[in-house]
Amino acid sequence: MTIRILLVDDHPIVRQGLKTLLEGRAGWEVIGEASDGAEALEKAKELNPDVMVLDVTMPRMNGLEACRVLRRQAPQLEILFVTQHDSPQMMREAIDAGARGYVVKSNAARDLLAAVEAVSQHRVFTALNVREATELN
Amino acid sequence: MKLRILLADDHEIVRRGLRSLLEKREGWEVCGEAGDGREAIEKALELKPDVVIVDIGMPNLNGLDTTRQLLQHDPHFKVIVLTITDSDQVIREALDAGARGFVLKSDAARDLVAAVDALQNKRMFFTPRVNDLVLAGFLEKGHAVSRTEAPKLPTLTAREREITQLLAEGNSSKEVACLLNLSTKTVETHRSNIMRKLSFHSIRDLVVYAIKNNLIQIELPPPPPPKAPAGPAAL
Repeated sequence: MTIRILLVDDHPIVRQGLKTLLEGRAGWEVIGEASDGAEALEKAKELNPDVMVLDVTMPRMNGLEACRVLRRQAPQLEILFVTQHDSPQMMREAIDAGARGYVVKSNAARDLLAAVEAVSQHRVFTALNVREATELN
Repeated sequence: MKLRILLADDHEIVRRGLRSLLEKREGWEVCGEAGDGREAIEKALELKPDVVIVDIGMPNLNGLDTTRQLLQHDPHFKVIVLTITDSDQVIREALDAGARGFVLKSDAARDLVAAVDALQNKRMFFTPRVNDLVLAGFLEKGHAVSRTEAPKLPTLTAREREITQLLAEGNSSKEVACLLNLSTKTVETHRSNIMRKLSFHSIRDLVVYAIKNNLIQIELPPPPPPKAPAGPAAL
């Protein structure tokens, strides 16, 4: 299955790590990168990805704000947060903002592929450090 | 012969990014990875890498104490410290610890290859801000203003710093004892000494101290959003 992904994180080295992980999967393609929420909005409009992998804490516009805007502007786009915040409150906020998935950065190597697969099929995927990964239909 | 590099960062995704960046360079090889400072020391002693890259904010043993301990084992280790901040205090501590390179994580994609290159050629690599600080320190000395005039904090030993970090990360004395292969009684004695030296009365004081002195790092929530724009953002 082909999945076109847009990566959004303010650290290029994290984007590089995410990219190598995602592109190891046949048919998955990272079609663009952005380093903050505002750039993410522009790139989403230009590239029309299937899934956006989005960080929370970024300069100019943070991921939560970008997610709220995208939910209105691009309802077909599935958003997956990959963040350092290992907190149920932040996860709740992300889901309330319209994200379909939430993965903690320290576990990204473990959870990211399953999460992208789930959200690309419009299923919810959330995983905190303290919990097992959960996938809900 | 290949240049062998050991990577230590608690985020596997960051290690992946660093590895991918470094291995693009012909003749460079990431010979090992570690997820915390303790593992970094074990791997460094086992693999004898040419360059060790350590993140400052690692659990169990932070990057600064990892650097100190590595250089105590073998002063020939060449260490590059990766950090999310280049505050004066972090720079001073990294220099004091013996790091020969200092790279901001946000600039790693741009600076890390140059830093490894510099160390390979027996030079040091620092961000412009570190260079400014070192120069300012040099000029300060020229005006006979010594850093010793600044009020001195009580000095913790390397073992006490390790225990402070582990306690501040939420471990009990028993858990610390287990992690460090010590008896609980020995850890309790260190704990009492730390509290006495720093004049602390609660674990809360210790946590605040650990944060202020970069023994542990905390996650901050994103800043509140600015006022809503007049209209919906264009997409």
